[in-house]
Amino acid sequence: MIYFEKVSKIYSPTSIALEDVSFTIKPNEFVSLVGQSGAGKTTLLKLLLAEEYPTSGQIFFESSDIHALLKHELPHVRRRMGVIFQDYRLLPMKTAFENVAFALEAAGRPDEDISSDVAHVLDLVGLSDKIWNFPHELSGGEKQRVAIARAIVTRPDLVIADEPTGNLDPLNTRDIIRLLEKINDLGTTVLLATHDKEIIDSLERRVVTLDKGHVIRDELRGRYVL
Amino acid sequence: MIDKITFKRILKWGFINFFRNGAVSLATVLVMSLSIFMIGLVLVGGSFISVVISNLEEKVDISADFRQIAPEAEILALKRELEVLPEVKSVKYISSEEALSLFKERHKDDEVVLGSLAVLGEDFRLPASLEIKAQDPSKFEAISKFLESGAYDDILEKDASGREKITYRQNQLAIDKLTSLLTTARRLGLALSAILALIALLVAYSTVRLAIYNAKDEISVMQLVGASRAFIRGPFLVEGIIYGIIAPILTLAVFYPAFWFAGKKTEVLFGELNIFGYFISNIFQISFILLFAGVLLGVLSAYIATRRYLKV
Repeated sequence: MIYFEKVSKIYSPTSIALEDVSFTIKPNEFVSLVGQSGAGKTTLLKLLLAEEYPTSGQIFFESSDIHALLKHELPHVRRRMGVIFQDYRLLPMKTAFENVAFALEAAGRPDEDISSDVAHVLDLVGLSDKIWNFPHELSGGEKQRVAIARAIVTRPDLVIADEPTGNLDPLNTRDIIRLLEKINDLGTTVLLATHDKEIIDSLERRVVTLDKGHVIRDELRGRYVL
Repeated sequence: MIDKITFKRILKWGFINFFRNGAVSLATVLVMSLSIFMIGLVLVGGSFISVVISNLEEKVDISADFRQIAPEAEILALKRELEVLPEVKSVKYISSEEALSLFKERHKDDEVVLGSLAVLGEDFRLPASLEIKAQDPSKFEAISKFLESGAYDDILEKDASGREKITYRQNQLAIDKLTSLLTTARRLGLALSAILALIALLVAYSTVRLAIYNAKDEISVMQLVGASRAFIRGPFLVEGIIYGIIAPILTLAVFYPAFWFAGKKTEVLFGELNIFGYFISNIFQISFILLFAGVLLGVLSAYIATRRYLKV
């Protein structure tokens, strides 16, 4: 489903974020992307989201070259990818419900669909009682669950999570990872970037290890080794 | 392009964001009001002063006196000739009788003058004259030259030194001075207006820009969630329109008492021309211009400001 073909991102000769990275993600896979800070995980995700452009190489989402898309085509591809960030990135002036609904409103879905889908997804992440709270009234774990709800409400083909547990305590971390697993079980491909050893070891799924911008390991039932 | 439901949502979020960002919205509206206030002041003040100047210019004319013996037909022929000159705006013929009745009217409270007139009796005559208004004061010279060309020597009255009795020549210094003063005042006013308006535009733009700068992270998140540019930008434009509508209303609410007061204070200075009266009689045009300026400023600032952050 996702194809990285000889992707390099070079900011300057001394600052090489990614070099010659190639790998493929199949539908319904749960792929963990591991590596130390600065290994290139975030850059790789940013390239996938077309937030940045590669210096060379191509990234395909199914048959479309993400970086060759026209400006007005990009939102359509992004709606098929749900994103979760370490710092949640909720819209601060919108309630939990509105944050989740935003993704659907942006996609032009009718109001009836939105109210039922949003309620359903917020129930799925266990936040039915806080739908009218603003982000600043929620705890870190709750914020991240809103963010997950927002990422999956559009029923994307791929969920991208960039260190989603980086700011959370162990208990919340386990909940979030369990949610991601559930999402994957329901048929959505998950790409998880993390440097949390315990998470990786407990998942027992495919692990792609990055180091200094290179893929140094790609194992189907990987563990966290650096 | 944008379908109906998206348009409705853009409107909805524009309003919701405006009210939820209460403090920022209020600050933006206030600064915007200040800008519109300045533009309004330049507009009303500038055009009022221009009216005052035109009024003063209107009062300046030249009149040429004719000899008692000059036949009316020749004077009227000269009038027609003057009227076709490009420099001339209008020519008014005042016959000897009219001149007398005007003179009486002007001195109706002056016993001495009326007494003297009575003594002079029926035979007293004032000269007939032409009152000539020019397109603008700088044209008086040319008109005077035309009259002095010699062709009308037998009908034009002359003074003791043998020059034609043309009032412009008698008041030339004063008129020239006034003319240059008015021209300078006009130019100065225009330059000042342009500078003030420019400052107002820049201040309003910067404020809207700052309000949107606050939302730059949100804008990038919205893009990553798959919102189209129009859907992200729309609510900001709606907010810009709201600023642009409220600011002129506030400005007009301040203008009304301010001009009323200013009108009272300057009544003596401008005579029958009153700035409050001018404001009231042009209130629709003024409101329209300010509203147009406000909305245009709000929308344009928001459009330019969001463009910067819609790059991801």
